[in-house]
Amino acid sequence: MSASPETGNEQYELDPVFLNSRREAKVIFGVWFLCAIWAVPVSYLLGYNQTVTPGSVETVLGIPKWTFWGLFLPWLVADVITTAFCFKFLKEDDLGHADDEDGPAETAAASQEDAQ
Amino acid sequence: MTPLLLAEGSNAALVTFAIYTLAVFGIAALSNQLLKSKSFMSEYFLGSRSLGVWAFALTFAATSSSGGSFTGFPAKIYTHGWILALWIGSYMVVPICTMGLIGKRLNQVARLSGAITVPDVLRDRFNSQKFGLMAVVLIVFFMSFNLVAQFKAGALILKVLLADVQVFNDFSVTVAGWTADMPFFGSDAKYLVCLIFFGVAVIAYTTYGGFHAVVWTDVMQGVVMVFGVLILLPLAIYAVGGLESATQEMSRMTTPRRGYATVAVDDASTAPPQLDKDDWLKLEAASGTRVFRVATPFAVPSDATEIHAVSLLEITTPQEVERILAGSVPADFVDGISVSEFQQPDEDFGSVTIIPPASVEESTFRRGDVLNVTGGAVTSPKSFVVAADTQFASGDAEVTVPAIVAAEGRYPTGQNYSDLQATAVSLQSVSYVYGDGQPGVYLTGPGPSATDSVGFLSLSVAISFFFMWAISGTGQPSNMVRLMAFNNSRTLKRAIFTVAIYYSLIYLPLVVIFCCARVLVPGLETEPDRIMPEIAVYLTGNVGAAWLGGLLIAAPFAAVMSTVDSFLLMISSAMVRDIYQRNINPDAKEQTIKRLSYLCTLLVGSIAMIVAVNPPQFLQDIIVYVGSGLAACFLAPTIFLLYWPRANEQGSIIGMLSGFSAHLAMYATGMFVNGSFFRPYRLFEFDPIIIGLTVSFAVTYFATLATAPPSEDLVRKYFYRKKA
Repeated sequence: MSASPETGNEQYELDPVFLNSRREAKVIFGVWFLCAIWAVPVSYLLGYNQTVTPGSVETVLGIPKWTFWGLFLPWLVADVITTAFCFKFLKEDDLGHADDEDGPAETAAASQEDAQ
Repeated sequence: MTPLLLAEGSNAALVTFAIYTLAVFGIAALSNQLLKSKSFMSEYFLGSRSLGVWAFALTFAATSSSGGSFTGFPAKIYTHGWILALWIGSYMVVPICTMGLIGKRLNQVARLSGAITVPDVLRDRFNSQKFGLMAVVLIVFFMSFNLVAQFKAGALILKVLLADVQVFNDFSVTVAGWTADMPFFGSDAKYLVCLIFFGVAVIAYTTYGGFHAVVWTDVMQGVVMVFGVLILLPLAIYAVGGLESATQEMSRMTTPRRGYATVAVDDASTAPPQLDKDDWLKLEAASGTRVFRVATPFAVPSDATEIHAVSLLEITTPQEVERILAGSVPADFVDGISVSEFQQPDEDFGSVTIIPPASVEESTFRRGDVLNVTGGAVTSPKSFVVAADTQFASGDAEVTVPAIVAAEGRYPTGQNYSDLQATAVSLQSVSYVYGDGQPGVYLTGPGPSATDSVGFLSLSVAISFFFMWAISGTGQPSNMVRLMAFNNSRTLKRAIFTVAIYYSLIYLPLVVIFCCARVLVPGLETEPDRIMPEIAVYLTGNVGAAWLGGLLIAAPFAAVMSTVDSFLLMISSAMVRDIYQRNINPDAKEQTIKRLSYLCTLLVGSIAMIVAVNPPQFLQDIIVYVGSGLAACFLAPTIFLLYWPRANEQGSIIGMLSGFSAHLAMYATGMFVNGSFFRPYRLFEFDPIIIGLTVSFAVTYFATLATAPPSEDLVRKYFYRKKA
């Protein structure tokens, strides 16, 4: 199918909800990948098969060093990225209206509220 | 823990449970009012697509956090230490992945087609009745297993919560009398009572209130969970003397050891008639006092002077033993009984499942009896010494007996049973296979393991889990149906943010709390699932607020309840909407649909509860199998049908079947290679979910390309819109 098919006299374009969702999904997958290549290798390098001197373990804020740098910190960063993604990147698209929903007036009001 | 503390905590648990149940029924009544004013089907199964931020965020979060988050997960932290932070690490991106990857698009597609259930979406996207029915069959297959497992989890949690409530114990004794001659109801009356309470409550409010009742109770349950964790966190850190202190203390810890002891009855007048799991015992040796907890309950006959083959767990960290003996850890040693000899058998221990002998005089294998197994699951004849009295009926298909593979003549023995056939043998080593005697093992990777020689979380398993929670969570139909129910995309973005904060407030604090619990309550490896209620009662009792313990231990109960109600509704919606209305009677009247929906929810719940009276073993394993199996079936076809205009019916069906088969093949191979269906084969050391998803994505893609493209009408409907 072409990018802009025609049926009779009607012309079509790719649905912006589909395009925005696909773009957002790619970014989300990138965020997952970034967190994975931070958390797993750092935790492994700092935390696996280490010789521990009982009673004098290196910690950050009372947490074992590997857990802090490999998990607590990226978790914090992931929360910051998630917040930025939600409020700066994710588009407020109109998702349409199903027949089983409340009347069109209510949906129109919700759409209006979204647009503001 | 002192009896007074336990009693106060337990009464608080009972009061909390009563208030909680009343609140749930109140919510169901309110929800039922909504059903009268809206389209029944859409409201009952999808809440009329009207969920706002808080309802959507908390129902999503609470459904994902099953009972495992508050029982299995704390137990794992307690047993394996800080490495659980990596095991759960991908929850840092679970909200953005599971809600953001497909949320907006799935919601739009469901609106475009008027879909109410997940099979609805799949069917309508390709106009394929076949694809829809296949999805229904897979959902009902997987969810039914999970429903029974979750009913069992709910009953077990309730049993722990009410363990010291006198009214409950008295009632259980009465029920045991009623069911004594009915083998179907089993021998554990406490479990039966809890199952009936739990089951009736969940079935009633779900049936009566539908989707909105489930969502609103999820909101309440979600709030209970997060407050529970946030109250426990400072209490735990305070009790342990600071997080730094807890971490340094954990660095000295070594794994406990299982073994078998001979105990001496020093003073029959003070000795209790029965020793329960986790009771404390001492052994006075020349090298110092050794400390044990009872691993398997046993009776103390009134005329006994010695009891043999008693299963114990020894605390091995010297500093812990010192603190226990100094009284700074709650440990009440049993009067009149001490350990006279403790040895670790050279061979393994665990359980053997056998077909009971056809004609026996007794219906109990007694501790010390010898079971000579000559066939079935053993490759060569083997003798097992029974480690705990086990009842059975001569008509039973099989009976599982706790047993030791002990050298001949080690213990004085009872009756000899010959030529038995074993259907399963589950054995583990006495010492931890990885981490035994290594200080620091609770602080570093891969973490101690009693069963796995590469440790608890090897690198490949860590990668698998990072994949599993975030990516496979997206493929869960119970999550998808919630993604179809929010009202607009502003709600979605606020909800992703809310769930991200919610999970950060739950999962990282849980790791900290239960690492502190290792220091505060030692030796609970015999029954680690009890650590949540134990630590809640201990910490709140410490600050003189035992009533708060009741509120906190409602959190795991809330978690499992919120999962069960969602699964129950998914199965009944699959039957009423996807089978009856869309295949048998498309013109069914609303009144008929309404009655059928109530009836189906009631029936499915009741059947699951009846099956859970005699539930399968391997509770957590079933939950893992179902979760990863559903993702292997549903994720790839869903992603392709939402984002790829070229996706077609044939490719999606073949992809779904191949994901199911590849995942199942790993488990089936596990039966031959590892001796159990629930110890799956790990190809290249990766979890079956990785294999299932890889196969499913690859096959869906190539099978789609190899078959005809979809009709232009369908592509236009779901991927294009009219130019303005």
